[in-house]
Amino acid sequence: MDSPGIVIGFYMMAGLVLGSGTLVFLARNLLHALAFLVISFLSMAGLFLTLSADFIAMAQILIYAGSISVLMVFAVMLTPLASRDNGNTIYVLPGLLAAGGIATFVGFLALDTNWSGPASDFSTTIDLIGNLLLGKYVLAFEIASVLLLFALIGAIMLVQTSSADHEEGEG
Amino acid sequence: MTTSTEPYVLNIGPQHPSTHGVFRLRVVMDGEKIKDLDMIVGYLHRSMEKLAEERTFTQNIPFTDRADYLAAMTGNLGLAIAVERLAGVEVPDRAEYLRVIFSELQRIASHAMANGTLISDAGAWQTPLLYMFREREKILDLFEMTCGARLTTNYMRIGGVAFDPPPEFWPALQELVDELPDRIDEYHELLVSNEVFLARTRGVGIISAEDAVNASLTGPALRGSGVPWDLRKTDPYSVYDRMDFDVVVGKSGDVYDRFMVRMSELYQSVKIIKQAMSQIPSGAHKTDIPLALRPDVGEIYSRIESPRGEIGFFLVSDGGPSPYRFHLRAPSLINLSLLNELGRDAALSDAIVTLGSLDIVVGEIDR
Amino acid sequence: MSGDIRPATPMSRQIAEHRSLLVRTLALPRPVLMIISLLFAGFIISQVLVGYLVISGELDGKWYDIRDLGNAMVSLDGVIRNSEMDSRISLALAYLVPTLLGATGIVSVVGGWLLIGPWVERRLIAKFQIRQGPNRTGPFGLLQTLADALKLMQKEIIIPRGADRFLYFAPPIAVFIPAILGWAPIPWSPKMSYADLDVGVLFVIAISSLGVLAVFMAGWASNNHYSLLGAMRTIAMMISYEIPISVSLLAVVLLTGSTKLSEIVLWQSEHGVWLIMIIPFAALAFLFASTAEINRTPNDIGEAESEIVAGFYTEYSGMKAGLFMGVELGNAILVGALMSTFFLGGYTLFGLEEWIPGYLILATKIGLVYFLFVWIRATLPRFRLDQLMGFAWKFLIPVSIALMFLTAIESSILIRWDVPNFLSMGLIAVVNIGAAVGLTLAWMRLLFRDADLSAPPPPVLTREMGGLQAAKALRG
Repeated sequence: MDSPGIVIGFYMMAGLVLGSGTLVFLARNLLHALAFLVISFLSMAGLFLTLSADFIAMAQILIYAGSISVLMVFAVMLTPLASRDNGNTIYVLPGLLAAGGIATFVGFLALDTNWSGPASDFSTTIDLIGNLLLGKYVLAFEIASVLLLFALIGAIMLVQTSSADHEEGEG
Repeated sequence: MTTSTEPYVLNIGPQHPSTHGVFRLRVVMDGEKIKDLDMIVGYLHRSMEKLAEERTFTQNIPFTDRADYLAAMTGNLGLAIAVERLAGVEVPDRAEYLRVIFSELQRIASHAMANGTLISDAGAWQTPLLYMFREREKILDLFEMTCGARLTTNYMRIGGVAFDPPPEFWPALQELVDELPDRIDEYHELLVSNEVFLARTRGVGIISAEDAVNASLTGPALRGSGVPWDLRKTDPYSVYDRMDFDVVVGKSGDVYDRFMVRMSELYQSVKIIKQAMSQIPSGAHKTDIPLALRPDVGEIYSRIESPRGEIGFFLVSDGGPSPYRFHLRAPSLINLSLLNELGRDAALSDAIVTLGSLDIVVGEIDR
Repeated sequence: MSGDIRPATPMSRQIAEHRSLLVRTLALPRPVLMIISLLFAGFIISQVLVGYLVISGELDGKWYDIRDLGNAMVSLDGVIRNSEMDSRISLALAYLVPTLLGATGIVSVVGGWLLIGPWVERRLIAKFQIRQGPNRTGPFGLLQTLADALKLMQKEIIIPRGADRFLYFAPPIAVFIPAILGWAPIPWSPKMSYADLDVGVLFVIAISSLGVLAVFMAGWASNNHYSLLGAMRTIAMMISYEIPISVSLLAVVLLTGSTKLSEIVLWQSEHGVWLIMIIPFAALAFLFASTAEINRTPNDIGEAESEIVAGFYTEYSGMKAGLFMGVELGNAILVGALMSTFFLGGYTLFGLEEWIPGYLILATKIGLVYFLFVWIRATLPRFRLDQLMGFAWKFLIPVSIALMFLTAIESSILIRWDVPNFLSMGLIAVVNIGAAVGLTLAWMRLLFRDADLSAPPPPVLTREMGGLQAAKALRG
C-alpha cells in the first residue's frame, strides 16, 4: 500500500486535473480555457511524479506547459475570434455525445485492465528510458526525429511568403 | 496560406522616457515596422513670440534661455547679435572674446548631453551620459560662478555681456580646458568601437546630402551627411574669424556619423576656447546702451550657429522699445521635418535612435 | 589644483575634500578601532581552531558540523524516526519537517536577496557611473529597498479598462513561481540540496520555460498596445534562447554522465577542473542565453524603457509591478546559482570545501556571476530584436550544436580512456577552445561574406565651406 503522503498527493493532483479540465470547457473566454488547460498539464505532471516517473513528469512540463501552450497561445492570438464568447455553438450536443462515447470506451478499458502488480524496482527512470530509446526502440526514435525535422522544414517553408519579407538579422 | 495583419496605432508620448521633452509621436505600425509617423507638437507652447512684443529687447533675452534650454548661451547670443545689427551697437573686444568662450563652453555641454541621451535611448542605462555629465557639471559650475545660473543663464546683453567673470573663473577654466581633451579621448575609446553601439547606430537613419540640403537641415545633422556648412565659418559673427579651427564633416549621414561629428566638435571647441583665452584683452565688458533701446525702423534676420544648428532671429522694429515682431527660427523644428521619411519602414528602435541623433529640444520647437 | 587658490566650483571642492576609504577608516575613534582589531584577531584564531578540528576528522558527519547543514537535517530525521511516536506520524513528520525547514531556507534566501539585492545593484551601477547610489534612507541607504517596497504597496491599484480580470492578476504570481522553484535541485553542500532530483537538468530547463506564459498573460491582459508589443518581443526572445540553454546543458550532461546536479558538482571536483575551463563556449552560450531568458540588458528589449515605457508590465501599478522587477532580480541570482553549479564547480573549490562551508563558496560564486551581470548591464546598450533573434538562430544554435557533437565524441573517448586528469582534461580543453574559436571565426566569415565589416570611417576635418557642390567634392 502506498504511503499516506502519496495517496493524498494523488487525490490532490487528480482533483486538480479533473477540476481544471472541467473548467477548460466551461470557461467562456478562450484564454481562460487556455490557462486552465495549462494548470491541468501541470497537475498531470504531478500525477506522474506520484508514480516516480520523474523523466516523464519533467518532459510533460517542458513540452506541454512550456511549448505546446505557447503554440496554442499564438494560435489563439492570430485568429480574430479570440476572447469572444465561445459558449454558444451548434456543436454542443454532438460534442457531448462524442465525449460521452469516448468516456464510456475508456471507462470500460480502465475497469477491465488488471491494475494490480508492482512495477519493477528501479532507482531512476532516465537511465531506463534512455537505454530503451537507443536500444530496443531506436527505429521508432529515429523515425520520430525525422518526422520532427520534416515538420520544422515544412513550417519554415510555409512562412516564406516572399523574399521581400525576409529579414536580415545580425548587425 | 498567408496571414493577414492589421496595422495598429502606437502613441509615443507626450509623457515618455525617451522623447526629449513633451513631444508626441503617433506611429502606425505593422508588426515591428513603422508604416507612418505623425509628429504632434505644441505641448510646450508658451507664446514666447507674442509675449516678446510687450517687452523691451533686453527683457526678451531670458526668453531665449527658455527656448533652447540646453544651449542658453547661444540663444542669448543670437538675440543680442540680432539687436546689435539692427540698432548698430558696437561691442568691445573683451566682450566678444567672453562671448566666444561661453558659447563654446555651452556647445561642449550641449553636445555632451545630446550624445549621452542618444546612447541612453539605445539602452545603455545612462552610464555614458553620466560620464559626460562630469564635464558638463564643471561647465555649469563655471556658468554659475559668472552669472549666477546654471541652465537659464541670461548672460549676454545688447552691447556685451552682463558680468565680468570673477578671478576664480580663469584658473578653473584653465584646469577644465587642460583635462578636457583626455576626457574626450576616454569617451571616444569607450564608445567608438563598442560592438553593440555600432550595431545600433551604423547604417541607421541615413540622410543623404541632397535630402539634407533640400529639407533645410542645419548643424551637426547636416554636417553628418557630408555637407560642410558651419555658420561660424561661412557667415562669421563675433570674433570667430580670428579663430583657427576646423569644421567636422561626416561621411555617410547615418546616426553614427552625426554622433561622431558631435564628438569631434568637442575637440574643436576646446581649441577655440584655448585661443580665446590667450587672445582676450582687458577692457569693458559691455557698452552702455539706453535702458529702453529704440532701434531704427527696419527688419533683420540674423543667424548664429547653436549646437543644434542655425538659430535665426527675425526682428521687425517699429522704432519703439519693444519689437513689432519677434520670430525665432528653431533648428530643432526644421531638423525634425525629415523624421517622417526616415521612419518609414524602419523598426521602432531605429526610429527612436534616429530621433535622438537629430538632437531636438522641444522648448525651441514650441517656443 | 594649486594649493593657494581655494577650489572655486562646488564640484572641484568636493573632489578636493574627498578622503579615501582607508583614511576614513583610520580616522574612526580609538575604542572602535580596538574592537575591530580584536574581532579580526578572534576570527583568525577561531579559524585556526576549526582547522585543527578539520584535520583530525572529528568534525565529519556530526550534527554540529556547520560545513554542511545537511548533517543537522540527517540527525533531525534520525531523531524523529527513532522517537516514541506512532510510526505513521513519525514517518509523516520525518518527511514534513525537513521539507518545511528547507523551503523556509530557500524562501528566506530569495526573500532576503529581494530585500538587499536592489540596494546592491543600485550602488554597483552607481559606482560604474561615477556617482553614489542610494545613501540617504538609513545608514548607507540600506533601507532604500524597504522604502520602495512600502511606497509600492500603498499605491492605488489601477486596473486598465477592458483588462481581463483573471489573466491580469495571475502573472505577478505566475512569474514568481519559477524564480523560487528553480532553487530546488541546487546543491549547497554534499548533503544540502532541497530536492536532488535524478532529472535535475531537465527540471532546470522545464522551469525556465514556465516563465514564458506568465509574460504573455501579462502582456495580453493589459489591453494595451505597448504591453502586447513588449510581451511579443519578450516571448519570441525567450523561446528562441531556450535552445542554446538546452544544448549547453546537454554538453555538460554528456561530459559528466549524469543529470543529477550533485553528481555534476562531484565530477568537477573529482577531475579537479571547472567545466568552464573545458567547454568554454557552452558556458558562455549559457550565460548569454540566460540573460535573454531573464530579460536583462543587453537583452532586455522586452522592457526597453526608452521605447515602450516598460513593455509587458506597463499597466501594472503598485506591488504587482514591484513583483515583476523583484523577480528579474531573483532570476538573476538563480541564473548565477545555476551557472556556478554547472560550470564553475558549485560548492567545491579544489578541495577548499573541507575547511570553508560549501554554501559560503557557492554564495561567493553566485555573487561573482551577479557582479558580471550588473557590470554588463551598466556598460552595454541593448540589442535590437532582429539582431537578437538573428544571433540566436543563425549563430548560437548551429555553433552550439556542432560543439556539442565534439563534446559527445570527447566524452565517449574519456569513458574508455584511463589517463591522469591533467592530461585528459588538458587535451579536451585545448581541443574545445581551438574548435570554438575556429568554428566561430569560420562561421562568422561564412555568415557575413558580403557585409561591410571595416571600421567606420572617422569624420573629416575641413575648412572648405559650401553646400552640395562642396559636399560632392569632399566625397570625392
